[in-house]
Amino acid sequence: MANTVIAQGITIEGELTSEEDVVIQGTLRGKLVSKDTVNVESGAIVEADIAASSLSVGGHITGNVTASDRVDLMPGGRLIGDVKASRLTIADGASFKGNVDMDV
Amino acid sequence: MADVTVVGQGIFLRGSIRGEGDVEIRGRIEGDIEVGGEVTIADGALVKADVTARRIVVRGAVAGNLTGEDGVRLEQGARVVGDLRGATIGVAEGALVRGTVQTGNAPAERGRARTAAAREAKPAARAAEPRKPVPAPAAAAKGNGLPRRPAAIAQEERTGPPPPVVPALKKGARAALRKRSR
Amino acid sequence: MARASSSTSHGGSAILGKGAHIRGRIAGEGDLRVEGGISGDVALKGDLFVSDGGEVTADIEAKSVVVEGTIEGDIAATDTVSIRASARVSGAIKGSSVSIEEGAAVQGSIDADFELPPELTGKAGR
Repeated sequence: MANTVIAQGITIEGELTSEEDVVIQGTLRGKLVSKDTVNVESGAIVEADIAASSLSVGGHITGNVTASDRVDLMPGGRLIGDVKASRLTIADGASFKGNVDMDV
Repeated sequence: MADVTVVGQGIFLRGSIRGEGDVEIRGRIEGDIEVGGEVTIADGALVKADVTARRIVVRGAVAGNLTGEDGVRLEQGARVVGDLRGATIGVAEGALVRGTVQTGNAPAERGRARTAAAREAKPAARAAEPRKPVPAPAAAAKGNGLPRRPAAIAQEERTGPPPPVVPALKKGARAALRKRSR
Repeated sequence: MARASSSTSHGGSAILGKGAHIRGRIAGEGDLRVEGGISGDVALKGDLFVSDGGEVTADIEAKSVVVEGTIEGDIAATDTVSIRASARVSGAIKGSSVSIEEGAAVQGSIDADFELPPELTGKAGR
């Protein structure tokens, strides 16, 4: 269970730096840097570059993402931006537009 | 699905939090918080921001003004430097505060309440009311039920635009001065 | 009916009853319980208690202050200040610790001596 949850209905604008897991159900605009995992759930809207250990995309992200471990685009998830990760999955039903760099 | 937004202990946000719902802050925030629900600032949280919410409960440290429409409560361990505004304000023993305190209607409503009170009490003096600066002690004209000597009030309001500091509050002059110098 | 203690150096307890009003400076070594009214100045070495219905329009110096009634004036307590739910207070409040019960009507300021953690000070300087 994540320590940090941005619930639906809440909009955070700015730079978010985290040492722990982050779950986004609401809206984030700006920048997110997490030492741990980031989970953008269905319904969430993110307009930000994201750096994390691993990132799960069930909602909508517009921004470049970098993961030291993996990025998973779930069904219904949408990512518009570049991905830099050593592992990447794009599920059937996910949308993606951007460049991928897996040479990390 | 969570209803409460939790900003964990390991978080540092430089920016704003807005929206509907409740927010619990355990980490560090520099910016601005304005939500429609209840904001809880947990023990260990570091908030450098003005907070506006329906209700605010503080157990951590805050540098900023706290405006809670329904109320603001500082629990033991709270350390706040800033102004407190709310329908009710509670400060527990062991909570430390430095700033102005104003119970009564929230600022947004205070303007309306002030005008409404003036309208019913002193129709002739209504012209004077809107010119009063918002945070001035003169705002005590609204329905806060705070001590005022009626004769003194009537006197001021009949003689045109009142000075920013209410003469009737001469015994509380230090409070007014502190408010002005903030 | 006002009943004042006769003692001087050790101060006893004085009560200003309902319906009694004092205008002027009240200074004393002991405690004071106000059920009536005071306009002026209050300087006590002891504790001040203002009951629900009591009205004090004065700057106050005392050891501790407990108010259930009305105070209009600045409060400087060397010990604690307790503002109860039925109280109405307007003025600058200073004490070793200040507590306010929800329900009290307060307009003024609280001044406590403490420092915020370093992350919150500096830069914007509060």
